[in-house]
Amino acid sequence: MRELELYFGPQHLGMVGNFSITLNVEGDRILKATANPGYLHRGFEKLMEGRTWIKNFPMVCRINVVEPDHMEMVYAMGVEKLAGIEVPERAQFVRSIYLELARVGSHLFGLWAYANMLGFDTVANWAMYHRDLVLDLFEELTGGRVYHIYIWPGGVRRDFPEGFTDRMVETLHSIGGCVPDYDSTFFNNTLFSERAKGIGVVSREEAVAMGGTGQAIRATGMKYDVRKVDPYAAYDKVAWEVHTREDADAYSRIWIVRDEMIESVHMIFNLIDAMPEGEVYNRIPNPLKWRIPAGETYVRCESSRGELGLYLVSDGGEKPYRVHFRTPSYSHGLTILEKALVGANIADVGNIMISLYVVAPEIDR
Amino acid sequence: MTSSLSTRLDATFKGVELGSGDDDRLAVSIPREAVVPVLTFLKEEGYDYLQLISCVDWIDRGEFELVYLLSFYTEDEVGGDGGKQDVLLKTTVPREQASAPTAIGVFAIAEPHEREIHELYGIHFEGHPRLTPLLLDRDYEIPPFRKDFDTKQYVADVFDRVPPVEEEG
Repeated sequence: MRELELYFGPQHLGMVGNFSITLNVEGDRILKATANPGYLHRGFEKLMEGRTWIKNFPMVCRINVVEPDHMEMVYAMGVEKLAGIEVPERAQFVRSIYLELARVGSHLFGLWAYANMLGFDTVANWAMYHRDLVLDLFEELTGGRVYHIYIWPGGVRRDFPEGFTDRMVETLHSIGGCVPDYDSTFFNNTLFSERAKGIGVVSREEAVAMGGTGQAIRATGMKYDVRKVDPYAAYDKVAWEVHTREDADAYSRIWIVRDEMIESVHMIFNLIDAMPEGEVYNRIPNPLKWRIPAGETYVRCESSRGELGLYLVSDGGEKPYRVHFRTPSYSHGLTILEKALVGANIADVGNIMISLYVVAPEIDR
Repeated sequence: MTSSLSTRLDATFKGVELGSGDDDRLAVSIPREAVVPVLTFLKEEGYDYLQLISCVDWIDRGEFELVYLLSFYTEDEVGGDGGKQDVLLKTTVPREQASAPTAIGVFAIAEPHEREIHELYGIHFEGHPRLTPLLLDRDYEIPPFRKDFDTKQYVADVFDRVPPVEEEG
């Protein structure tokens, strides 16, 4: 059969985001896949070198549209580590609750993309609606729906408003009440398991060799989660579980997403119960003239996609000397995706890509 | 464990300099030629996770610094492996005719990182099979992430030259 070259994206129904893949196909089978990122390269890391430390906060959250909050967190962690700033204990809890809320929102968005791509429009609409409820909470807390700029060096911008935790618990309960519906329509649906089982298998050896994290590594049975192995914020203050699966396919990865969402909601309830009283903010020097001692650091947190890292260098000036984000989609969308697509059908390209949770803006930065 | 790792590194390779690092990361500087052997050595020591390859342009010193951040996969909670530290491996590359050996043979994930550094900093990686552009679609005289690349000037040069749309009538 003749080998053909097929362009998949950036304009394609199965493609989510500004990304494209060049496929070499023989009939319906993929022989070779070449990922083409760069449609959304905005040069953030270079632009950040020209702005003061504090002015970069509105910038970092825009690197990943789907979950800006972990971007704020990792940048704040880097700045705090270089400048030697302590964060009050209550702020650590507020940050953890806020980040878990962001994880639920991001997973719902991911579920929307995945269900939509498989043709489960009803489930996709539910997920989008429930994400909107989470965004309502963010709007009340921070004033912004998508980009929040809530985490600052030294803590968070403001404490929870009066009655906010009650409203948050109520919303999460109403979303959690729909889990049986999600299960019967989607997760336990044969149509889903038929489409996802055995698809896009990334073995543990491959995932380790290609820097896989998040669901890609947890679907191979390894309990690797930065929140556990290198705890930050208040993740070591409450009990919670890392969810894994054994089959390393798209089915396992999407089930982990479901289990993580439920775990996050339980974790939020535990964090609210254990949250101490106190300040949520430690004063920092005048941010407009803030010089941070020369040094370098690497900090990391667990975004909803895997390990999100930041290599930050200061030369002692008012601006960062070098900023470099290690985003989970970078390894998942470039090396692992190219490998996982070989031998797959054309109809499964979107399936594999979204199950690996690839988000293009994160790759391009 | 880690103190012996630094001793073993010192004993095995020439020109290894141990930096201060921070609490949970050991900083090591090595000559450019030793990158691949040291990475292989560390991988055998259990550092199976290359988190990031980064590059810093120290224009005043006339050199680039390549930074390899190494960690390890673990299922143990908090700190893992009895307080085993992560490693920050550094090497310097002169700014003129910048080139370095590729690490793809040791870590497959090095491929896109080195492609990106080649594109944004103009460092050639010897033995890299695919140094094609990754993110950008224009050609630049100076690779755009170098410190002597003037972003504002570039924007003025490129976009101010676009002819204005003529009004009709």
